[in-house]
Amino acid sequence: MASRGGMLIRVRPGLAASLLLLLLLSFAPALQAQGIPYSRPVETAPQADTIGGGYKTPAVQKPLPRDAYLQMLDVLMLTAAMGMSVWLVLKRRSRKWALALTMGSLAYFGFYREGCVCPIGSIQNVAVALTDRTYAIPMVVTATFFLPLLVALFFGRAFCGGVCALGAMQELVLLKPLQVPPRLDRALGLLKYVYLGLAIFLAIKPALGRDFLICRFDPFVGFFRRTGAPHMLLLGGGFLLLGMFVGRPYCRYLCPYGGLLGWCTRLARRGVTITPDKELDCGLCTGACPYGAIDHMRAVRKDCLYCARCYASCPRDGDLAHAKADLVTLP
Amino acid sequence: MSEPVSRRDLLQQVVRGGVLATLGGGAIFLVQKAHGQVVWQVDAARCINSRLGDTGAEACKLCTTECVVALSAVRAVNEYSKCGRCNICPAYFNITSAVDEKGLPSEKLCPRDAIARKPIGKADPEDPANNFYEYIIDEEKCDGCGKCVMKCKEPLGLGSIVLRIRYNKCVDCNRCAISRACPKDALIQVPVEQALRPAESLHRTE
Repeated sequence: MASRGGMLIRVRPGLAASLLLLLLLSFAPALQAQGIPYSRPVETAPQADTIGGGYKTPAVQKPLPRDAYLQMLDVLMLTAAMGMSVWLVLKRRSRKWALALTMGSLAYFGFYREGCVCPIGSIQNVAVALTDRTYAIPMVVTATFFLPLLVALFFGRAFCGGVCALGAMQELVLLKPLQVPPRLDRALGLLKYVYLGLAIFLAIKPALGRDFLICRFDPFVGFFRRTGAPHMLLLGGGFLLLGMFVGRPYCRYLCPYGGLLGWCTRLARRGVTITPDKELDCGLCTGACPYGAIDHMRAVRKDCLYCARCYASCPRDGDLAHAKADLVTLP
Repeated sequence: MSEPVSRRDLLQQVVRGGVLATLGGGAIFLVQKAHGQVVWQVDAARCINSRLGDTGAEACKLCTTECVVALSAVRAVNEYSKCGRCNICPAYFNITSAVDEKGLPSEKLCPRDAIARKPIGKADPEDPANNFYEYIIDEEKCDGCGKCVMKCKEPLGLGSIVLRIRYNKCVDCNRCAISRACPKDALIQVPVEQALRPAESLHRTE
């Protein structure tokens, strides 16, 4: 009897509570009118044994994040593409093959990997990781940031010409390059350092106020993803339009990573050279360089974007030299 | 071999060595600090749609509107083991709509009709209201608007539906666009091993 009484006492509060809940819910504005007076029929989730009938709880669909080894593949591809770029431009001096590499990189890093993570954006991650004790970045991001700088320290901006998908987009649309007056070119070139400073300043703010400016205003990532915010696509369209007449405007005037690469390139051991013992001093290369990187018929390494147009234009070098036999046959 | 090194070359070599050391040092520092791969995930305990206490409000749709992917990478996920399998599910039905002849609400809640249900377990033909139902969210239809998440949480539901990032959709932005917009800072970067764990056991890394 005692236990029965105890049971009754134990049951009552629950009953009262559920009645109260029912009452409350039926008055709740969300559940008024002709809707059913709803109350949750269960307190805990029934499991397979309660449900019966041989039911098994299915696994929740869980597609995994990209595997770590595929991320390592990205780093390998980055390294390989930079190596190829150095070899094709410095050794083979072939515009054709360098362009093929650029297209390959655009396909892989741009349209397949959808432009993320790139060295340009990684500036911000590295800046945050260096300043914020609690923020760390994956090794892949570290590698993405440091490898192109390392290559630039020895060979110049091989990354810009051979790997960068943003550069490749602009390389593709460059139809009628105009020479930007050197003074204007230099003045505009300073913009990228302002942008670099601003991006780092916004990135190293405390976590809540943090903003990754470079990524937010990435002009081409919207194209790589085939979707994006209108301002991004407009910006990208604008750069492509401008890029038809001004060689790689984003790279030369805004790319903050280009600034860093330029600094490293000043110390480079090797780079694109306008070969003194072969040249005619004809100046064809100066006219062919859309980036203003040939000054007084000598390559300005910090501005050279590894496109190999100078070699292609040279009657004594590169692709033309190989086809010389055809060229000199005059009627 | 003893070609005279010009002052300029020497200076260049010294500076290059210095830069190399700086870059190397920075890289080593960052690698030592690294904690493997990180991915974005929704912290259900912060998300306004699944967080306890925020009831009666309109569901927050920022995950749908802010994601850079056309159909957001954030989708509603039903953690089956926590689902009440109710006959009248407040996340499946619009429980304020008129009752039809079968005694069920006549409208569904999901604006994209992304939730399907099927009876499971031992059916009781006498009392169909007592049967259990499995609620399956069609990932291809769901756009992560969070309506069902809002209704599924306590006290109406058991909180089995939460918003989660689908890694076959997520393009892994450097800075997730939703995270910038989220008023509750509910999008966090977690180590990849944690990314698929149940919603409540995420630990932010930053």
